[in-house]
Amino acid sequence: MPSGGSNSLAAVWAILHKECRSEWRTRYGLNAALLFAVTSLTGVSFAVGRLTDRSDVLSGLLWIVLLFASLASLSHAFVREVEGHTMMLLRLVASPTAIALGKMLFNLVFLAVLELVTVPLFLLLMGAPPPRWDAFLALLAAGSLALGASATLVGALIAQTRGRGALFAGVSLPLLLPVLAAAVSGTRAQWAGGAVTSELRLLVAYAVATLAASLLLYDHLWED
Amino acid sequence: MSALREETGAAASPSARSVRLEARDLGHRYGRRVGLEPLSFEVAAPGVVAVTGSNGTGKSTLLKIVAGLLRPSRGGTTLTFDGRVVAPARRPGWVGYAGPELAFYSEFGVAENLSFAAAARGLPAAPARVAQSLERVGLGSRAGDPVAALSSGMVQRLRLAFALLHEPMLLLLDEPGSHLDDEGRAVLRSIVVEQGRATLVLIATNDEREWGLAERRIELAGSGLGHTS
Amino acid sequence: MIARFVLLAWVLVCLLAAFLWAPLVPTLGETTRVLYFHIPSAWVAVLALGWSMLHSLLYLRRRDVEHDHQAAAAAEIGLLFCVGATVSGSLWAKAMWGSYWNWDPRETSIFFLLLIYGAYLALRSAIEQEERRARLSAIYSAAAFVAVPFLMFVVPRIYFTLHPDPIINPRGKLDMDPRIREVFFAMLAGFTALFYWVLSLRVRIARLERRFIES
Repeated sequence: MPSGGSNSLAAVWAILHKECRSEWRTRYGLNAALLFAVTSLTGVSFAVGRLTDRSDVLSGLLWIVLLFASLASLSHAFVREVEGHTMMLLRLVASPTAIALGKMLFNLVFLAVLELVTVPLFLLLMGAPPPRWDAFLALLAAGSLALGASATLVGALIAQTRGRGALFAGVSLPLLLPVLAAAVSGTRAQWAGGAVTSELRLLVAYAVATLAASLLLYDHLWED
Repeated sequence: MSALREETGAAASPSARSVRLEARDLGHRYGRRVGLEPLSFEVAAPGVVAVTGSNGTGKSTLLKIVAGLLRPSRGGTTLTFDGRVVAPARRPGWVGYAGPELAFYSEFGVAENLSFAAAARGLPAAPARVAQSLERVGLGSRAGDPVAALSSGMVQRLRLAFALLHEPMLLLLDEPGSHLDDEGRAVLRSIVVEQGRATLVLIATNDEREWGLAERRIELAGSGLGHTS
Repeated sequence: MIARFVLLAWVLVCLLAAFLWAPLVPTLGETTRVLYFHIPSAWVAVLALGWSMLHSLLYLRRRDVEHDHQAAAAAEIGLLFCVGATVSGSLWAKAMWGSYWNWDPRETSIFFLLLIYGAYLALRSAIEQEERRARLSAIYSAAAFVAVPFLMFVVPRIYFTLHPDPIINPRGKLDMDPRIREVFFAMLAGFTALFYWVLSLRVRIARLERRFIES
């Protein structure tokens, strides 16, 4: 029986599974991103030393390192398909929405792994454990969600342009600026011992809004 | 265009389904370049239809539009299965497509690529299906090989296996005989004849060995490379 | 034809009135006059973005290349006015606050507008196929549409601002000298008409270019 319903959860999971296996085999993006994160972290740490009592600088540095380490690799999810000419195969087996959702889930997993290494190292090198772990982790999770949702949509667009990777950081920055502003201000408040609810709410709202808009836009992503 | 020659016995096949493909004033431009001169046609299952025309007249473009991979800049196609219209965006689930631009994941094996396709399409009994379609194109012994190790003829066979995996109602083959050896051509021939008996097959080709299998031809006009204006 | 000269005369009269007729706000001094250029420019920058996004959404719905022309032209002109608003605002900030740039929420917002315009136009320039360019940039525009309210309205509420609220303030009333108000709104209308006129010129050029390529 032919199956017309390719817009299913099965397709999303199959794509997520495929992405993870492919990444595991080639270590195409993760190695580069981890190397970038660790290099920039140690570079920053070497240059400024320990910043135990400078919560304003700490939060900014943390998010800048995370942002650029992830930007270096999040676009690969689609660029790799275009460069390997496998986009056609993908489009033949799954709907645009399923493709984009599968890639977004993979990007979120990717971000989680990246943060698992980068964040503890950052806290260690800077000598500044967060006073409230729950607030810190919630901000990290909400920020990553918003980051992943925006980066996936822009990544799908960028993969179809002439410059591909080169444009990604510039084009995604306007969409990531709200995330950066809210995440940095929330993290700073957390280190200073203040409330983070408004920033957290802002991040989650932005992630949800981006995701909702993306679900309407995904259908137009590939038409040639 | 010649009329569809009725093949006795084909319509009586138990698995025969009603498949109709209609194109009305269908045309495409790639920017300033004409990809496909406007045309209209109507074909129905069972049968094999050849799409012919010199280089640059839009054979591949036509097949991609029918497969739902390309949005035409003019007119449109209507595809109906058992009376139900399948919108272009949903075509990939129903249509089997094999073309020269179709590439596979080189970091995965032959069977792995098809397993992924089966999983993404949500097909039941995926392992048996994958093994069966690989056998059908003569790649059964290569199931575990990495795709990177395949010759271009074997990749062409894999494309056919990929197109057949979900038992499509409409099979679209773009230059299916390229890179194939004699044995591969025999496999292709049997697939086209078999599929043509139950469903609809569209072959884009200029090779007589392939369009000779068709009961009907759609000859694409247009400037092509021959007489550019 | 005549409309063009009427517009020119209108803006000229506003210009003269701004310098010769309208009084100064005591706290702002001579810098009051930047009001007549800065705010209309910022208004056109926002209006053009809205216009561009509206036509992007319409393009995705109707696939009419005319909407793409409108969206692209509005973005180009919007960027111009956005630069004007940024520069005039920055000069005013130097005079009043002592520095050209200090990430006041209003400065952040206008910078954000600049970034969106820049990214949109950069994305367009990186895609050659007309249809794909129109479609992908429309998608981007729609995504940026989601980001705008967050930065334009939410972030300035989080951070403290020094920026005066001459038009819309929390109390929702106009604290302006009537003469300032008249010149200001006349200038606002003039800038809006200017935007519309340049936009229609740009769209006509795009249409002609397209017809030239197709023939």
